[in-house]
Amino acid sequence: MGSAADDKKSLPPPGIVNRNSVWLAGIGWFSAVLQNAINHRPPVKSGVHRQFLLATVGWFLGYHLTKHENYTYARLDRDMNEYVKIHPEKFQPKEKKTFAEIVEPFHPVR
Amino acid sequence: MTLSRLLSRVGFVSRVGSRSAFTSSKTDTRNPNWLRVGLAFGSSALLWALLFKQHSTDVHEYKVRNGLQ
Repeated sequence: MGSAADDKKSLPPPGIVNRNSVWLAGIGWFSAVLQNAINHRPPVKSGVHRQFLLATVGWFLGYHLTKHENYTYARLDRDMNEYVKIHPEKFQPKEKKTFAEIVEPFHPVR
Repeated sequence: MTLSRLLSRVGFVSRVGSRSAFTSSKTDTRNPNWLRVGLAFGSSALLWALLFKQHSTDVHEYKVRNGLQ
């Protein structure tokens, strides 16, 4: 099966633009804006270097978080499918009945 | 030094959150701290470079593992 690091590398890597990156970059940017507001500075126009740095940090963390997330879900899916394969008796397709077979025959009284 | 001596020294340090009429001065908005600005932009550039490098490594690794697609 290979080591954990090995498995991680066999997954397709996430794109540079991914949900977690965008969200965490937004959080970073907003926290810079909030810091400006708290210190009575113009919120968006001041401290652009701070906004950019925090957004970058968020983007960076988001990329690695996405990688970890992909690996976690892939691992869970793989384990689940292996379990299903090992225990086929627990996953037999059920016989399906239509409603017509279950309910009593219908005699309309009009 | 004793703990109380150390603690009394702390009171002389001026912090952004606490303002005393005796020690505070308005922040000088006309002259930005260019060192800090440069460091901020520099570390941002470094992080972006690291990110792109990591991404290209990952993509290359994935392609190699799955037969150079």
